[in-house]
Amino acid sequence: MSALLQIEDLRVTFNTRYGPVTALDSVSLSVNAGETLGVVGESGCGKSITALSVMGLIPSPPGKIAGGAIRLAGEDLTQASEARMRALRGAEMAMIFQEPMTSLNPVFTVGDQIAEAIMLHQKVSADQAFRDAVALLDRVGIPSPDRRARDYPHQLSGGMRQRVMIAMAVSCRPRVLIADEPTTALDVTVQAQIFDLLNEIQRDFGAAIILITHDMGAISEMADRVAVMYAGRVIEQGRADDVLDLPQHPYTRGLISCIPALGKGEDTLREIPGVVPPLHMLGAGCAFADRCAHRAPRCDSEKPLLQAHGHHPVACHAVAEGRI
Amino acid sequence: MTPSYLLRRLFYGLLLMLGVVVLNFLLIRLAPGDPAVVIAGEMGGADEALLAAIRADYGLDKPVLTQLGIYIGNVLQGDLGQSFFFNQPVATLIGDRIGPTILLVLCAQVISILLGVFLGVIAARKPNGVLSGFVSVFATIGYAVPVFWTGIMLIILFASVFPIFPVEGMQSVRLRDAGFMIRALDVAHHLVLPAFTLALIYLAQYARLSRASMLEVLGSDYIRTARAKGASERSVLFKHALRNASLPILTVAGLQFGNLISGALLVETVFNWPGMGRLAFDSILRRDYPTIMGVLFFASAMVVVANLLTDLSYRLADPRLRGKS
Amino acid sequence: MTEATEFKAESPAREAWRMFRRNIPAVAGVIMLTGIVLATLWGTFFYGGNPYEIVWAPHEPPGVTPEFPLGTDYLGRDIFAGLVAGGGPTLAVGAAAAAITMVIGVSLGALAGFYGGWVDNLLMRITEFFQVLPTLLFAMVLVTLFSPTLFTIAMAIGVVSWPQTARLTRAEVMKIKELEYVTAARAIGARNRRIIWTVILPNAAPPLIVSATLTIGVAILFEAGLSFLGLGDPNTMSWGLMIGSNRAYILDAWWPVTFPGLAIFLTVFSVSLIGDGLNDAFNPKLRER
Repeated sequence: MSALLQIEDLRVTFNTRYGPVTALDSVSLSVNAGETLGVVGESGCGKSITALSVMGLIPSPPGKIAGGAIRLAGEDLTQASEARMRALRGAEMAMIFQEPMTSLNPVFTVGDQIAEAIMLHQKVSADQAFRDAVALLDRVGIPSPDRRARDYPHQLSGGMRQRVMIAMAVSCRPRVLIADEPTTALDVTVQAQIFDLLNEIQRDFGAAIILITHDMGAISEMADRVAVMYAGRVIEQGRADDVLDLPQHPYTRGLISCIPALGKGEDTLREIPGVVPPLHMLGAGCAFADRCAHRAPRCDSEKPLLQAHGHHPVACHAVAEGRI
Repeated sequence: MTPSYLLRRLFYGLLLMLGVVVLNFLLIRLAPGDPAVVIAGEMGGADEALLAAIRADYGLDKPVLTQLGIYIGNVLQGDLGQSFFFNQPVATLIGDRIGPTILLVLCAQVISILLGVFLGVIAARKPNGVLSGFVSVFATIGYAVPVFWTGIMLIILFASVFPIFPVEGMQSVRLRDAGFMIRALDVAHHLVLPAFTLALIYLAQYARLSRASMLEVLGSDYIRTARAKGASERSVLFKHALRNASLPILTVAGLQFGNLISGALLVETVFNWPGMGRLAFDSILRRDYPTIMGVLFFASAMVVVANLLTDLSYRLADPRLRGKS
Repeated sequence: MTEATEFKAESPAREAWRMFRRNIPAVAGVIMLTGIVLATLWGTFFYGGNPYEIVWAPHEPPGVTPEFPLGTDYLGRDIFAGLVAGGGPTLAVGAAAAAITMVIGVSLGALAGFYGGWVDNLLMRITEFFQVLPTLLFAMVLVTLFSPTLFTIAMAIGVVSWPQTARLTRAEVMKIKELEYVTAARAIGARNRRIIWTVILPNAAPPLIVSATLTIGVAILFEAGLSFLGLGDPNTMSWGLMIGSNRAYILDAWWPVTFPGLAIFLTVFSVSLIGDGLNDAFNPKLRER
């Protein structure tokens, strides 16, 4: 049986002033109902582009899906009409964005914004939609929801706003819920609450969650499976426990060693040297080569492909050759 | 919106008006020559008796501050002086003409904002499209055309080529005794050309401004959220984006009001529209200073009121400002 | 990539000039304006025609008599002579008024923005007061009170137009004041006046130059409006006056009002093309939108 959401060999390009740039290259991911897939990587690695591609929200132009397929319950979204996508967005798949501060429209009350999402996909009266919105606010743990529903976004705290975003996203019980760095802008205690809420929601609604993050800690808490992305490609993929316990790619290892371990103090916090190369400057070889301690001549000339190795697939010449 | 904020704005508006009164007073005093002669205007050599009467009325033989006091006192009582050319109180003169001016200015404002914003919004959908190009060319042209010349060109066009709109005045003489509806339609018919002439300059500016403002808003996160909900393109543009993009448009609409009145002055002159602009023109040609000063006072008052309304509507449109001062 | 590095090495003024040169409408504006100025200069100094002299039958249509290519007005005066003679005063008043506007606006704006506090408060209240007065009406009053000469007209336009420039300057100065090089200048003990003149204003120059250009356009329109109403300098021909004096006869002859109007339009149009071009050149990022 194929997965609920299946991304196959997705390729997305952007026209920039440096010429066309490949933002996503042969990205394949899948997620099942009730499962959480973590997508992890530094900013600019293509995590968010992947999410926006699924939603059909790639700004176009300059962006376009140049190849591959995105199948939601078998239906290829890359071929779907705009009207069909509109019907799916918000109803079958929904998204929670990184910036709760700016992702809500400042001139409408939060209740109206949730009610709008409901009315776009269900035939209910405006009053009923607003009552549903209040119930959703209650469900996501907002105190005195009927009063809060009449508040404007600027009257709520960041954590509250993210709860509103979640309420809006789950308002039509979507089958796929994409959360793009849902806690980055929030402080630590609120982060934990939001993760708990997402877990509860998943239990209740049985949604598939794609959690996009650069935070390995969030992955270990939330994800069943994980895909590591670097410069527009998936470089390692597997069950969360496997990848976290036995990372293979040098980049994944770097990411994991960046998690500050409790009680071990500051000195265990390491950084991966260097930065992600700009997409328009990618050469023929492995994009990580410049920052890699295991670089060999082959790494500069040939892109490593994602191949099964050990517990789970990884894209690295050094791993394939048994050098690490 | 708190009542105290409202009161403070009102008070500030009144203060500005007081400033205009003082300015009027200073202008008469600063003008070269005897103030009494200036006030009397170039009435073919006003006789000594008239000048003496004016001196007594305005207290011109008293100290300057007393004169100012008298002047302010008069204005507060609604006495803006006597027009020696029209031989009528200035307040009456203006009262007869302020209606047509407000009608013209408001119509032009509504036309230019509605059409301009609509053009700007659909242009923003395709920032590099044909309509976007048209909007920016049109805006540059609209800025560069002298409004009185546009009026004259329209008169030539509509008087001789397409005689479908009246090109002069506000009412047809033959309909003066008709019923209210007929007369209202007649005025509307007369209003078409002057209102469009005046709207044309600002229309282009609003189109350009709302295009820019929409482009900025369309790039924001909450627009992405609206799309992620499955909102239609029309709802995204006209509901989610326009409400936010309208804030800078409101600001400019308020600031433009003074310019609009200046434009109305020229347009009224061109189309013989019986408003304050024509009155200003006629009284300036006759150097009828009390009338000129009265027009300056009322025109400024209109700007103050417009600014006040803009400020209040801005607060209504942007919930973030409500309840703040 | 090497190309991009070269861009960075270029001075901002040079980069702006390079951008400007590539902007076809802006270059067209420069050519058009140069043409108008040259025609005006030529008309003032070499074209023999007297714009006031009655030289032919009234309302001769354009293109009929070769000596009067644009025809004659209601008195039988040469319209072409009027155009070339009227350009000088129009352009001169426009430029002078813009200069006065900039001097008042930039000084008050810079003072308000730099010193802040009560100075800012006071100056901004004054600015708001001036913004309440309908500009053209106020200018009409000033011109009438102080008798219309080219100088008083330019002064009057300047006196009513400066508030916007002042606001713009204030905003720019307040922005630049907080930047590091101003702190650096303070740290080496530079005096306030020196900081304003040598550090802040040069950095605020780009938007002010754009605003100055657009102000010239507005001032020309202003002058045209005043002359049209008959409040211009009675001793000089101007485009606005030509329209105003032929206004009563527009249904008999379209050309005496059309050509001066076109002249005003083309002048202001070319000025604003240049202004837009400068704006784009100084803000390359905005252009991509």
